[in-house]
Amino acid sequence: MQLSDRVTGGVLVVLGGLAAWSGSRLPAVPGQDVGPAAFPLLIGSGLVICGALIALGIGRSFEAPEEEVSATGSRLSGLRVLIPPALLLFYMLASEPLGFLLTGAIIVFAVAVALGARMRLAVPLAVVAPALVHLAFYKLLRVPLPDGVLPAPW
Amino acid sequence: MNEVIEAFRLVAAPDVIIAIVASAIYGLVVGSLPGLSATMATALLVPVTFWLSPIAAIATIITASAMAIFSGDIPGCLLRIPGTPASAAYTDEAYAMTRKGQPEVALGAGLWFSAIGGIVGTLSLVLMAPLLAEMALSFSTFEYFWLAFLGLMCATLVARSSPIKAIASMLLGLLIACIGMENPAGTPRFTFGLTDLLGGIEPIPALVGVFAVSEVMRAMATPEPPKMPDRKFGSILAGQWKLTKKYQWPMWRGNIVGVIIGVLPGAGADMAAWVSYAMSKKFSKEPEKFGTGHPEGLVEAGASNNASLASGWVPSLLFGIPGDTITAIAIGVLYMKGLNPGPTLFTENARSMYALYLIFIIANIIMIPLGIVMIRIASKVLRAPRASIMPVILLLCAVGAYATGNNLFSVLLVGVFGILGFVMERNGYPVAALVLGIVMGTMVEQNFITSLIKSDGDVMPFFERPVSAVLAAMTIGALLWPLGVWIWNRTGGRRLPA
Repeated sequence: MQLSDRVTGGVLVVLGGLAAWSGSRLPAVPGQDVGPAAFPLLIGSGLVICGALIALGIGRSFEAPEEEVSATGSRLSGLRVLIPPALLLFYMLASEPLGFLLTGAIIVFAVAVALGARMRLAVPLAVVAPALVHLAFYKLLRVPLPDGVLPAPW
Repeated sequence: MNEVIEAFRLVAAPDVIIAIVASAIYGLVVGSLPGLSATMATALLVPVTFWLSPIAAIATIITASAMAIFSGDIPGCLLRIPGTPASAAYTDEAYAMTRKGQPEVALGAGLWFSAIGGIVGTLSLVLMAPLLAEMALSFSTFEYFWLAFLGLMCATLVARSSPIKAIASMLLGLLIACIGMENPAGTPRFTFGLTDLLGGIEPIPALVGVFAVSEVMRAMATPEPPKMPDRKFGSILAGQWKLTKKYQWPMWRGNIVGVIIGVLPGAGADMAAWVSYAMSKKFSKEPEKFGTGHPEGLVEAGASNNASLASGWVPSLLFGIPGDTITAIAIGVLYMKGLNPGPTLFTENARSMYALYLIFIIANIIMIPLGIVMIRIASKVLRAPRASIMPVILLLCAVGAYATGNNLFSVLLVGVFGILGFVMERNGYPVAALVLGIVMGTMVEQNFITSLIKSDGDVMPFFERPVSAVLAAMTIGALLWPLGVWIWNRTGGRRLPA
């Protein structure tokens, strides 16, 4: 995920340009000079300027030297960082049909294993943690967590 | 006087007491775990505050954040991994003391001077807030615009990051805040046809994603931190009185700098700690000892970050402009509980304000005994494997996001902001500036557009009112500061100390 300043700066220029352009096309409020377009236009232009400065490497001298992150091997391990957001997507899709307890158990188990937990730790954790979270949020905080196929016994 | 007695009664309610104790323990534990910051501890508390009474809700936020800022010193001192960014400034120093065999002095200094800083910060809040409230009553949209803008500029003056990248992060946050129809014209913007985006992006999913999910992602990419050796500590508070007397002046300087940085909208505990540590080194009689396990910097910076935490509530309570990311969350909770920030809060709801002061004092006093217990059991807590903590954090992220609106779309947002936060941090873009942009975007725009409408598109009235002119000068100063330093470096050919 370490990108060069040229890439991130370029992305900001494009993003700012798009924001300013689509902002400027917003309908104005009749009879008024400043409407919903002004702010996106301003911010978009600011982003374009900042992005360009970053891409050109201005102001780089301020940054503290990056401490080297020890990369653990292959490209595959680079993809591991996407596990948590992927699991959140999974939660969004699965929590209603499967229910909170089952979805939670799968998420906890997956993260624990991905971080190198032994089965002796991962399995009990996947059983206990979702149950406790459910108890706290469903019973105490009255958050309507979905039951799905495995309703909680309380 | 009646108001004060009433405030005591409010704080003595059983639910408030339980909230204070429970959130103190929670804050101490979460703050001490490396990578889990005080902001994250506070963000994950928000769903819990839905269910509490207003005073109890505020008590949990205040107590948990104060404890987490202190206990961030613990892994910094023992493992050289700062528990929260606010301790990062003096982690090396504290660790050097541990290596010299004085971990109890370093941890005790963290605890003792954190508590003192917190109390001084609270007193400054008590003294300053009503005075400023008087003044704030006459503020118009011009002043509010400049205040909010000043807050955003201060948020970009983050240590160890390029100011241009910080400004870009802040603008990105403002752009995210444009999403939805919460703008002066009520026009849907950047919703891409999704009804879920019509209401805009709530700050809480963004905060949880940026501060918590990205941390779980980072854990995936980095090796497990070293295990802490079991360690017996000597008396923790024993040497502290001597240190207090010896470093009285640095302590006060730390307190005052912390208070000032806290009051500035947008600048918080992290910056207070960095600035104070640097100042301490600069003004010390023995600067050569810094970095070798010298307590002076710890005293000053440890007091400073906790002092800023309390005084950061001044702009939040008065103007609804967060002093840092923690108060950004607190403002959301205040609105939710019907304690809308604003100068009238101090006249119409004085007893809630007195109760808030009391909670600050209580939190900083119970920090000492609870902190000692925490230090003693730290080696046990820190030994919990990461593989058992991170899964629970991720689950709490999902449930917490869902609970803020009983809306599954927020869970997706948390994931998206997790990725954004992770990528930004890896590339040197400070995420705190992004978050403050998101939180303050609506307010900046509202006041900017209303002011422009009032002045018929003319910019001059932005500078004509006296307070407005001063705030404008400060904001422009903050904007030009990095440019000035950059030019100075270029022409003078030498680097200023950061």
